[in-house]
Amino acid sequence: MLKFLQLAFRNVFRNRRRTVMTLLMVGGGVAGLLLVGGFFAFMFRGLRESTIRNGLGHIQIFTAEHFRRDEVHVLDTGISDWQHVASNVRSADHVRGVAPRIEFYGMLSNGVKSSVFMGSAVDPDAERAMSFSPRLASGRDLAESSSGEIEALVGTGVARSMSVKVGDGLTILAVTADGALNGIDVQIVGIVNTGFKDLDDRYLRITLPSAQRLLQSDRVTNLVVGLDKTENTDAVAAAFTPRLRGLSQEMTMKKWIDLAAYYKQVRTLFSGIFLFLGIIVFFMVLMASVNTLLMAMMERTREIGTMLAMGTPRPWIVALFMLEATITGILGAAVGLIGGNLIGIALNASGLHLPPPPGLSTEMAFRVLHVPALMMGASLMVVVSLALASILPAVRASRLQIAEALAHV
Amino acid sequence: MHTSDPIIAVEQVTRRFPLDHNAVIAVDNLSLVIDRGEFLAISGPSGSGKSTLLNLIGCIDKPTSGRILIEATDTSRLTPAQTSILRREKIGFVFQTFNLIPVFTAAENVEYPLLVQGLSNSERRRRVSEALDNVGLSARANHRPDLLSGGERQRVAIARAIVHRPAIVLADEPTANLDTRNATQLIDLMRNLNQTLGLTFIFSTHDQRLLEHTPRIVRLTDGRIVSDTISEPSHAEVFAASVS
Repeated sequence: MLKFLQLAFRNVFRNRRRTVMTLLMVGGGVAGLLLVGGFFAFMFRGLRESTIRNGLGHIQIFTAEHFRRDEVHVLDTGISDWQHVASNVRSADHVRGVAPRIEFYGMLSNGVKSSVFMGSAVDPDAERAMSFSPRLASGRDLAESSSGEIEALVGTGVARSMSVKVGDGLTILAVTADGALNGIDVQIVGIVNTGFKDLDDRYLRITLPSAQRLLQSDRVTNLVVGLDKTENTDAVAAAFTPRLRGLSQEMTMKKWIDLAAYYKQVRTLFSGIFLFLGIIVFFMVLMASVNTLLMAMMERTREIGTMLAMGTPRPWIVALFMLEATITGILGAAVGLIGGNLIGIALNASGLHLPPPPGLSTEMAFRVLHVPALMMGASLMVVVSLALASILPAVRASRLQIAEALAHV
Repeated sequence: MHTSDPIIAVEQVTRRFPLDHNAVIAVDNLSLVIDRGEFLAISGPSGSGKSTLLNLIGCIDKPTSGRILIEATDTSRLTPAQTSILRREKIGFVFQTFNLIPVFTAAENVEYPLLVQGLSNSERRRRVSEALDNVGLSARANHRPDLLSGGERQRVAIARAIVHRPAIVLADEPTANLDTRNATQLIDLMRNLNQTLGLTFIFSTHDQRLLEHTPRIVRLTDGRIVSDTISEPSHAEVFAASVS
């Protein structure tokens, strides 16, 4: 077996120039996949973290009722004893902070014009403690406690349509938890650009006490939990389960991935693109390798005839060719891994930036992540590709007529 | 003319090769009996059917009609796998162009038939050493074929052909690519192995240097035997006589 492996290994390097070309081709395919996949992984990570930091959080806690029925009045299905729930989960490992939120809606008016809004009420200090901060186009974030006016942030679309700016006042009208109409006056302290036009046209944010006063309720819609690392989400969610049992309300939780619809869409799209690239590389390697291996088989026709004449079982010939192709695939994958990672390191060190993507005004950093699963997958793909490419030449070689093969020039 | 120990019997064998709408008859209704331990040359002009007859005896080609018996086994009844085993165990091949595996050393080339037979590492090493000793190439064991002369390569090929102790060694024009000195050495070597190991040597040649050392010469023309001459008591006869 060892001798057979030696024979296969030496055959790989029989025609060095051709082998080097094959290794470069296979390695190039692997390196290309590592670079593209590594960049996509960087994008996914960036999008994931910005989605979480923009307010989604790692885990959100709701009452189970929240998902069972629609609210008749605002905060119908809200969490009543939320401070107790928050203190229960805050003490778990990896938890960086817990922030209560109220989601509500109503009308905005500046005395001349009215507009519908989708509002959220937050505890600004709790949000900032988890590095969740809105993307301000102008002004400042909400303060926890202000001496006089109730502060508000509005979206750029709201500010434009209502012709208001930082420092201007607005009246908020909403239906209370009892079904009555209530209103409060707020002062705009900041204009927010979320990056999504539909959201900017309806965006309003005020502090939690202001919203509770407006809605006449001390409940909150949910609790948003921020963790030290996104990778700990599953472990923390598992740790939360017992902590959410035995409370006055039945509680449930959602992980960020369950709530990040946009992230999932982007990831699905780019994963599809990457899969397409992978298929192209797979077939390129396959077709080029079939050609190379057929040439190698033709050149060795007489030698194969000699081996068969000496009584070599035909399956051995098939195995020999497949082994040679597999060795080539492994070496090509190694070349690709080394090359791809070195190029990745060089690109990361270069500080390269890409032009701003649609909808954003800032340049995007070009970084390549070194993803072990990607390295394994790309390497396995080329090895399998080479092994498959060797089947046709291997079978042809094993079926050679010995007398004809020995007479081959 | 023959002893009672035939190792090969070729019985009314014909081999036709289809060519366009016609057929070329390479071997034409040929019968031949070869005894164990013979040193036999098949001679004749180009296209007379020498190589085809060797291929048929070596079971690397099949007759169109007739049959070939090797040690009383009818080779036409064997499956491809059985034929492969028969070649592996009973036949050694020497080719005109040596046909060594270029990425293997001389010793590894000699070892190959033993590898196919599945012998143990120590047994393989012992037999390789013995075979290389027999052909006088122990000192060149670790050289690759491209570092050996033509004569040395053919000696490696002979060592490879005898290492698994076959009953028959078939050599197709073994001296065709060698100069006179190397050809003479090779002839002496083959004859010596034939006499010392009792191997049956059958080779095709039109090399007069080789024919001069050959006790039995079968001459072919157009696929038929035109003469079958024995110039001296064959080794087989001497061998049989000594055994009896």
